[in-house]
Amino acid sequence: MNWWRRLFNRDRSERQLNAELQFHLEEQVRDYVQAGMSESEARRKARLAFGAVDGIREDCREAQSLFLMESTLQDLRYSVRGMRKSWVFTSVVVVSLALGIGANTAIFTLIDAVMWRMLPVRDPDTLLVAGYTQGSPPEYGFTYKQYRAMRDNTEIAELAGYSPVQLSVTVDGNLEPTLEGQLVSGNYFSLLGVNPVVGRPIGIEDDRVPKGHPVAMLSYGYWKRRFALEPSVIGRSILVSGSPFTVIGVTPPEFFGVEVGASPAVFVPMMMQPTVMAVVENLLENPIIMRTWVQTLARLKPGVSVQQALGPLETIYKSQIPPRPKIPNLAPVPERRLVLTSAATGLSDLRRRFSQPLFVLMWIVSIVLLIACANIANLLLARAASRRSELAMRVALGAGHRRLIRQLLAEAVLLALTGGCLGIALAQWATRFLVVYMSSGRTPIVLDLSPDLRILVFTAAVSILTGILFGLAPALRATRLDLAQALKNRTGSGRTTGSHLRPGKTLAIVQVSLSLLLLITAGLFVRSLQNIKDQDKTSERDHVLIVRVEPRGSDQRSLPGTSQRLGRLYTDLLQRVEQIPGVRSASLGNVSPTKPETGAGGRFLTSSGKDVAMQTQVAYPGYFDVLSMPILTGRAFTWDDFRETSPAGCVINETFARDVYEGENPIGKPCGGSLRSPGAKGPAVSQIIGVAKDSKYTNHRGLYTQAVLYAPFPFANTSRGQMILYARIAGDPGPIIPLLREEVWKADKDVPQFSSVPTLLE
Amino acid sequence: MTTPKPDIPQGTLDMLILKVVAAGPIHGYAVAQKILAISRDVLQVQQGSLYPALHRLEKRKLLQAEWKATDTGREAKFYRLTAKGRKELEAEALNWEHLRKAIELIMRSAEGEV
Repeated sequence: MNWWRRLFNRDRSERQLNAELQFHLEEQVRDYVQAGMSESEARRKARLAFGAVDGIREDCREAQSLFLMESTLQDLRYSVRGMRKSWVFTSVVVVSLALGIGANTAIFTLIDAVMWRMLPVRDPDTLLVAGYTQGSPPEYGFTYKQYRAMRDNTEIAELAGYSPVQLSVTVDGNLEPTLEGQLVSGNYFSLLGVNPVVGRPIGIEDDRVPKGHPVAMLSYGYWKRRFALEPSVIGRSILVSGSPFTVIGVTPPEFFGVEVGASPAVFVPMMMQPTVMAVVENLLENPIIMRTWVQTLARLKPGVSVQQALGPLETIYKSQIPPRPKIPNLAPVPERRLVLTSAATGLSDLRRRFSQPLFVLMWIVSIVLLIACANIANLLLARAASRRSELAMRVALGAGHRRLIRQLLAEAVLLALTGGCLGIALAQWATRFLVVYMSSGRTPIVLDLSPDLRILVFTAAVSILTGILFGLAPALRATRLDLAQALKNRTGSGRTTGSHLRPGKTLAIVQVSLSLLLLITAGLFVRSLQNIKDQDKTSERDHVLIVRVEPRGSDQRSLPGTSQRLGRLYTDLLQRVEQIPGVRSASLGNVSPTKPETGAGGRFLTSSGKDVAMQTQVAYPGYFDVLSMPILTGRAFTWDDFRETSPAGCVINETFARDVYEGENPIGKPCGGSLRSPGAKGPAVSQIIGVAKDSKYTNHRGLYTQAVLYAPFPFANTSRGQMILYARIAGDPGPIIPLLREEVWKADKDVPQFSSVPTLLE
Repeated sequence: MTTPKPDIPQGTLDMLILKVVAAGPIHGYAVAQKILAISRDVLQVQQGSLYPALHRLEKRKLLQAEWKATDTGREAKFYRLTAKGRKELEAEALNWEHLRKAIELIMRSAEGEV
C-alpha cells in the first residue's frame, strides 16, 4: 500500500485523471467530426454528453479511496483558511471550548491521579496492604509487635512496614523546614522493587538493631531541591532530629511511597524510630497497644491466594491483641478481623476524602461543556445562515451533500481540537490550583499530574466528540438548502433576513440563563467543598500557627518535680510568645485540633452508674479563644485556675454535657478522675466551671465529635507533658514564624528538635 | 438513437467492463464505445459511471492500468484484466447466468402458475 506516497503525489494522479478524461472527450469529438459534425458543434455536444466533470473527478477520487484521507486534508486546509478569515468568531469559540474542555481535563486529571494511577513500584497488581476491621471500614496500621509477629511467623507472604513521620533535618548546621519522612523496614524497597537512582537502598542489614543504623535515603525531589542533584550527597552526614545520619541513596523521581498525595523526602530505617522520634516513647521496645503506627504491605508467595493467606495471618494477629479489660455494662465489641486489600493504586486518604466531590465536579464540568456545545452550535447556526450562498455555490459546482457535511464537521472538529489543546494547557494550571486548594496546611499534597497518555486520549476524545456534537446539527441544517433561493440571495442583499435569527436569539437567552444557573451551582458547590474542609476545624485556621513544644522530660511528666518545671516553662513561653508583635493571643494544648489521638482516652462513670466514653485534653488559658471555641455556659480557664493551691476546675464540651448530664446544668458538678491534686496521689476535689462548643475531629471514618473534658495542665492526670503551641496572629505569618521558633528554642535549648510551624490553613 | 435506452442493471456494470476488457488492453473511451456497439446501441454507459467504475476496479486489483500510445499516436490509459479480474469475471458471469435463468422462469410463467 503506497497510499501515503500517493497522497503526496496527489498532483500526479490528479494530472493523470484529467488526462484520461480529456482523452475521452477528444475521442468523442473526433468521432462526432467523423460523423460529419462541425468542430465546434462536436465539441459542444461532447461536453454536454460528458456531464459535470468535477463530479466525475470527485467520484473517481473516491473510487480510488485515497479520497477520505485526501479530502480530509483538503477539508482541514479549507477550514484553517475559513478560521483565519473569521478570527473573532474562531477565537470566541476556541476560548469557550478551551474553558469547557480544560475544566473536564483538569477534573479528569485529578480523578486519574487520585483514583486510578498505578503505584510506581514493581508489579503493583500483586501488592497488598494489610489492615483490620471491627465491622467498620478497614483501618490500616499495626503496633510494631503485631507487625513483627506477622512478619516473622509466616511462610506464605512477605511483609514490609513503613510509617509516615515528621522529621527535623539539619544540613550544614541549618535547620530545614520540617520534612515529611518515612520510617521503613529493611525489605521495604526490595518488596516494592524500587531501585535508587544513586547510591544504595536501605536494606535488611540496615534494619536489625534499634538505634543502630544511622542511614538515610533522600527522595529525588528533595535531592534536587536541596542538593542540586549532586552525586556527592552520598556519604554526606545530615542531622535527623539532632542525630547524625549518613545519606546512602536517592529514590527515583516517580517514587512517592505508597500513599497517593504524600511526598516523603527522607527515608530512615524503622529501627531508628527511637532516635528520630526522641520524645515519643520507644515504640519498638515498648509498644503501646494504642499506637498502631506501622503501615503494613504484603506480597504473597507464588501460588498463594489472598483467602489462603488471610487465615494464618489473622491467627497470628489475634494472638497479639491483648485481652480487653472487662468493663461491666459495656456492649460487646465486634471481633477484629484482618483484611488484605490491593494496594495497586495506592493508599490514599485523599481518595477517602475527595472521591465523591471529584465525581460530582466531573458531572458539573460535563454539563458546562454540554452547554458550551449548545452555545457554539447556536453560533455556528447563525454563521451558517451567512454562509448559505457560499455553500450553495459549492453545491452548484458539484460538491456532494455528504462531502459538504463532512467539510462542516471537519471545521467543527478542528475548532474543538484547537480548543482541546488550549484546554490541556489550561487544565495544567487549573489542577495545580485545585491541588493547592485540596492541601490542608500541614502536609502539602503532591500528585503526579503530568499529562499521560490516558489524559491526552481523554481530552482528544472529548474534543472530537464535542466537535461532532456541536457541529452536526448546524452542518445538517446548512446543507439542507434550496439552491435557487440561496443563490438568489447572493445577488440580492447577500444576507438572510432577521426572522432566521429570532429562534437563535431565544436559544441564546435560554443558554445564558442556564449557564448562569450552572455558575451559581458551581459556586455553591465550591462553597460546600470549602465547608467540608472547614468542618474539621473549629477555628479560622488561616490565622493560627501551630508549634509542637516537646521539651526534654515532657514524656515523663510524672517524675517528681517535672510537672512543676514544665508548668513554669510553659507559662514563661506563653508570656513571651504573646509579646511577639503580630501575635494576638496564644495558648497551649496537648492535642492537635483535628487529630486528638494524643489525648488520653477514658470513661466517665456518673454517680447514677452511667458509663460514657470520653477524652481528657490539657488546655491553657486562652485555649478556647485562640481556637474559636465559644464558651456556652460558665467561664473559660484563667491563670487563677493554674495555681496549685487553687481549687481544681475543668471545662467540658457540649457532647460531654449532653451525654453525661442530659440537660442538667453541669456547672459545679465534679470532674471525676481526670483531675488530680498536684504533688499528691489520687483524684482532686474538682468542679466543672464551663461548657465549650464542640470541636469536630477527623479520623479514617470521617468527622465525629466526642465527649471531651479539658483539664488545666497542673491538674491533668496524665504522664504526657508534650504540648502544642497555638498562636493566633494578624497579617502575614512569614516574619512571625522565625520569632516564634526562636521563643520555643529558648524555652528549652536542650531539645534538638521541634516540629513544623504550619498554619492551620494556608 | 431516439428510442429510450434502458438503464444498465445495478451491479452489472462492473461485469460488463470486465468482459470488454477481457478481450485485450483497452482505454476508457473504447470501453464505452464497445459496450454500445456490442449491445447494438442499447447500453450506453455514462462517463459519470464509467470512470469511477474503472478506478474502483483498478483499486480492487481486478484491472491493471498502463499509459500507452493509441494507434492515432495519443497517450491514453489502457486497462488490462488481471488474473484476479479474470476469476471475478468468471464468478460474476456464472452468477449472472443463474440470475438470468431465474428471472426468465418467472417472467415466462403463466399467470395462473404464480
